[in-house]
Amino acid sequence: MKAEKRVEHTKKLLIEIGLSPDRIEMYYMSSSMGVTFAETIKTLTERVKTLGPNPIGKSGGQDDNSE
Amino acid sequence: MIIASRKEIPEIKNMLDGYKNILILGCGTCVTICYAGGDREAAVVASGLRIMRKLEGNPAEITHTTIKRQCEWEFIEELKDQVEWADAIVSMACGAGIQAVGERFKDTPVFPGVDTKFIGIPQEQGYWTEKCASCGECILDKTGDICPVTLCSKSMLNGPCGSASNDGNCELDEKIKCAWVLIYERMKLLNMLEKLEDILDPKDWSKGKDGGVREHIREDMQK
Repeated sequence: MKAEKRVEHTKKLLIEIGLSPDRIEMYYMSSSMGVTFAETIKTLTERVKTLGPNPIGKSGGQDDNSE
Repeated sequence: MIIASRKEIPEIKNMLDGYKNILILGCGTCVTICYAGGDREAAVVASGLRIMRKLEGNPAEITHTTIKRQCEWEFIEELKDQVEWADAIVSMACGAGIQAVGERFKDTPVFPGVDTKFIGIPQEQGYWTEKCASCGECILDKTGDICPVTLCSKSMLNGPCGSASNDGNCELDEKIKCAWVLIYERMKLLNMLEKLEDILDPKDWSKGKDGGVREHIREDMQK
C-alpha cells in the first residue's frame, strides 16, 4: 500500500535527522471501529506525551537536544 | 535519463561544517523524475538540515531553490543573486550539474547532494534500470535494441559467456537476466536471428571512458 510505504519513508527521514520515528504512525481501521479508534488515539497521545515537545520547537534546539 | 539517489542528510550535513548561509539547489530535469534531487527533495534536505543544525545548537540559514537544468549555463545564470548570499551550495543535480554550477560560481564551494548512478529508464513507478553505458559507439542495430555492453555483466559482444544458468540468468546474480538470452529472444521475435551469425569486431573502447575525458564538438553549431 502506497500510504504505508510513505509512512515508512517518513520514519526513515525522521531517523536521518535525529528525531524519533515514533512521532508518526499509521493504523488500519474502518469507520465503524469507534472503540478501536478511541483506544488507538489514547495510546498515541500517551506516546507523544512521553516523547515530549518537538526539540526544535520553542527552544530552537539550543537547550533540548535530548531526543 | 540520468538516475541518481539522494544522499542521506547526515552525510550532507557533515560536508557543511562551518557554513552559515547554505543554498540547496534542486534540478528540474532527470533527478526530478527519479525523485532524487528535484524541488521536493531539495525542500526535504533543506528542512532536514535546518532541524539537524538547530538540534546541535549550530543553526544556519538554509534555503532552497530549483532551476530547470543545472547542466546548462543559461539556467545556472539565474542563480547569480542567490549565490552571492550563499557561502555554500548543495547541488541536488547529477555529477554534471554539480560541476557546472561549481565552474560558473568558482568562489563558492558546491557540495553533492546526490549519488549519480547511471543512464537508464523508469521501468515502473519507483524502479529504474540501467540501459546505456555511454560507450561512444552504439551497436544496438546488431543486437536487437538490447545493449550487451550495459546489460551483460561482462560486456560480452558475441554471445553469452559459459556461465549463464539453465534458466537464462547471469552467474553474477540470479535476478539478472542474461543479456544474450534477451538479445536472442528479441532477434527471434524480429525474425532477425541470422544477423547474430555476424561476428562483431573488437570494440574501440577508447571511444568510451577508457579513452579518457571525452568532448563532443559540432562546428556548425558553434558561435
